This record gives sequence, C-alpha cells and structure tokens, in this order.
Amino acid sequence: MTMVRLVFYLMGFIALASAVFVAATKNVVRSVFMFFVTLMALAGLYVLALADFIAITQIVIYVGGILVLILFAFMLSGKENLAVLEQQNSRFISISKLPALLLAVLFFVVILNILFKTDINNLLWIKKSITLKNAVTPGDEMTNNIGINLMSRYLLPFEAISILLMMALVGAAHLSRKEKSS
Amino acid sequence: MNFYLKYFAIAIGLFAFSGLFTLFGVYAERKVSAFIQDRLGPTETGKYGTLQTIADVLKLITKELIIPAAADKLLFMLAPAIIFIAVFMGFAAIPWAPGIAPSNLNLGLYYIFAILSIETLGILMAGWGSNNKYSILGAMRSAAQIISYEIPAGFAIISVVMIAQTLNLQTISAQQGILSSENTKFLGIWDVTANGGILAWNIFRAPHLIIAFVIYFIASLAESNRAPFDIPEAESELVSGFHTEYTGMRFAFVFLAEYSMMFLVSTVGVILFLGAWNTPLPNIGPVHLADWTTGAAWGVLWTIIKVLLLVGVQMWIRWTLPRLRVDQLMNLCWKILTPLAFICMLISGIWRLWMM
Repeated sequence: MTMVRLVFYLMGFIALASAVFVAATKNVVRSVFMFFVTLMALAGLYVLALADFIAITQIVIYVGGILVLILFAFMLSGKENLAVLEQQNSRFISISKLPALLLAVLFFVVILNILFKTDINNLLWIKKSITLKNAVTPGDEMTNNIGINLMSRYLLPFEAISILLMMALVGAAHLSRKEKSS
Repeated sequence: MNFYLKYFAIAIGLFAFSGLFTLFGVYAERKVSAFIQDRLGPTETGKYGTLQTIADVLKLITKELIIPAAADKLLFMLAPAIIFIAVFMGFAAIPWAPGIAPSNLNLGLYYIFAILSIETLGILMAGWGSNNKYSILGAMRSAAQIISYEIPAGFAIISVVMIAQTLNLQTISAQQGILSSENTKFLGIWDVTANGGILAWNIFRAPHLIIAFVIYFIASLAESNRAPFDIPEAESELVSGFHTEYTGMRFAFVFLAEYSMMFLVSTVGVILFLGAWNTPLPNIGPVHLADWTTGAAWGVLWTIIKVLLLVGVQMWIRWTLPRLRVDQLMNLCWKILTPLAFICMLISGIWRLWMM
C-alpha cells in the first residue's frame, strides 16, 4: 500500500512541478517539451487508478497528436512571433493578470470548500460499490466494457462528437483548398 | 525484491538484443546494398568484413561529443535518448514464443502504437535543438510523414483487431495456429483448427488482410523513415536531416533507434499478419509437422526467422526504389492507402459477422 502511495505522490509531484514550469518559463519551445513530462506523469496517475486504456489513449492523442501539432505550429511560425511571446511582462502580479488571479483564487476556494465539507474516507457511493463488488480490480480487462458502453449507453454523445470532428475535418479541408485561379 | 531484479534483467537483455541486432543489421545492410549495386561491401576488417560494425562502434565511442554553439543544449542532449527510449519501450510488450513475453499486457498492441508515436517528439526535439535549417526541415518532414502514415497503419491494425477481437498480442498470436482456442477457418471455408501452420495465419484466415498487410508494411517503412520514404534525411537535399549535428554516442543512439524501429515494426507486422510465433508447417494427415515444431524454443526461432525476412525485404526495397517526393508521399498516403485501409476495416467487420 505504501508503495502505491509513494508512486502516487511522486507522479503527482512531477505533474505539478512540470506544469508550473510550463506556465512560468520564458522559453516557449522548452515549455512545450516540458508539457510532455506533465502528460506522461498524468498517464502514470491514470495507470495507478487502473485506467490503463485512458492512460494509453492520453499518450496517443496528446503526445502523438496534439503536442506534435503545437510544435509544428511553432516551427512554422518563425522566430519573430516567438520573440513577441518571450518578451512578456515578467511581473507576477499586475493589473492585466487580475482576472486570471481572481479566477484561480476562486477556484481554489471552491476546492478547499469541497475538501472540508466532504468526509473523504466514508463516502456513501464508494462504500456502496465496495459492498456490491462493483469496483475495478487490477486484473480486469476494461476495454470491452468501454466499447460496450460507448455503443449503448453513451451512443448519442459519441455520435455527436464524431459529427463535430467531421465538421472540423470538412472545415480544415475547405480552408486548405487552393483557390481556383481567376 | 526478486520481482524487480527480474524486470531489470529483462530490460538489460532486451537492450543487449537491440544492440546486437543493430550490429548485425548494419553489417547486413552494407552487404545487401553491395550485392544489389554489384559491389563487394566491407571486406577488410575480419573475414568477409564481419568485424566492420564492431570497428564502427569503437569509432563512435571514441569520437568527441560536439554541441553546436547555437544549439539549445538541453534539448539537443536529451533528444537521442528520447528517440531511443520510445522505441526501446515498445519491446516490452512483444511476445516471443508461447508463454514468453516480457510483459503480457492486455492492451499490448495499443501500447506499442502509443509508445512509437513518442519518437516523433524526439525527432522534433533533435531538429529544434540543433538550431540548424537542415535539421529543422528534416524534423518537420519526418513529423509530417509519421503523423500521416500513422492513419493507414492504424486502420490496417484495426482491421486485424476486428478479426481477432483482442488487443492482447499473446492472444492474437495464439489464435493463428494449433494452440487456438476458437475455430480457425482457411479463407472462411475450410476448418483448419487441427492443421494449423501457414493455413491458419491471419492473412489466410481473412484474405483481405493481405491488402491490410501491404498497407501496414508500406506505412511501417514510412514510420521508420526508411527509403523510399527517407525524405527526412534525404542526403542530397538535407545533408542528413534531423541528425546532421550529432556525433559519437549520440549519433549511435539515433542509429540504434532506427534499426530497433525496423525490428519492432517488422515484429508487429509478423504478429498481426504472419502468424507470430506459429510454425508455417501444417499438420498433414499422420505427419504432425505443426505439433512437432511448436514450443518455446521453436517459437523464438520462428519469430526471429520471420522478422529477419521482413527486415530483409525492407533493406531490399531501400536499395532498389528511388526516393518519393513530398507531394507523391502525401498523395500515396491520403488518396490510396487511407481509403484502402478503410475498405479493409469495413470488410473485416462483415467478415467477422458472417464468415467466422
């Protein structure tokens, strides 16, 4: 049990520390590469929560897809644009950052509120699922379960998302199409 | 504690294997290219030049590690490690024989697919870190190519998964031979559960998987940046692409990654389409060839033979075909391979429902 806890805190620390680095550093490309570390630590946390399918999906989509696309955008945009990003106001507290600060503080208050109000060790729904044996164990194969649920219970959201993606694809194809020369 | 020691031993063993395979692969590549171009290849070091790659390794180890003055030092130094580790981690889920797999994951195939996509990130890192126009052009070409070709490769893989109904590589392997727990039909007609051998391989269980295999093979060439898809390191245009600035051991890691990648993609191809560790010899009447040639040691042997054959085909193609242009590359991927892979996936669904 202690081993699991140790790994959890290690992964959590890596995720948080690298996320802070991503937000704080001036070197934009390094911050993108640091985001990779954050994503891997998150994948580790998912594995620890027995959600291995989600962990791997996270790596495929975010590391293999989105991160590479972000890097692509950087490399195509040239050094001048990057220089503008790097010459931002360095003061931590300033008037222009007030909305963000307010949002962060309020969100923190909400989290603290939940933390103090709930009794985390005796949650009703967790106890119920333990007595009903409705919990995931390390040996379970979850992929079939995910597939069946996607095709039955969550079919409508699944289809809605696929239509959204289709629209994005059509839009991208339209934007990148060559204009007919007049 | 023994638990962890075993894992370390397996990891070191796999590392040693990828090193040995690279040694062998580089020598084989030089000899194959020499044969195809009617040359002799290495002849001086050792009998038939067999010590040539060992001499190369000694040279690489003793070379100075140069970091270009304008490079982003951290990214530049980390990139080869990430490129290699991404490929090396893929080896963790490869089954070698019945019951022999470093890690018998129930998501093995998906895991390999995910881990290999990290290599792109390492290549972009190398290209950006070198701060050199050739490197960055090579890295961008490589990333564009790998992302594009992941799509047909992915759909070819999905069409196998739809037939096999599992992502566990060990189960997919077992289905293609006499150890199968379900009925195997040759071309969907003739029950060959007891015969096994070549008749039970995935490409013969469902014939459209032959097309899927060709699609996967072409896409895997592109993903490992091998000719005819080697525009990322096109020597005549980009010096040598994203690894232009690398010397010594760092270059060796990039090289190690390339050859390990060749081995890994071929292994995945063999497992998915060509019967994995199953013997090609079927049981014919009283001659139980398949029963005699199935087992742990035989499994390792068959895997290695099949994979080396595929790697040989990769080398053959590299030294035979000219390099594709970027637009031809993208046309091939998006207009030919992707629609074909979609059709394969569709047929797989129908085949699974009606023929199996």
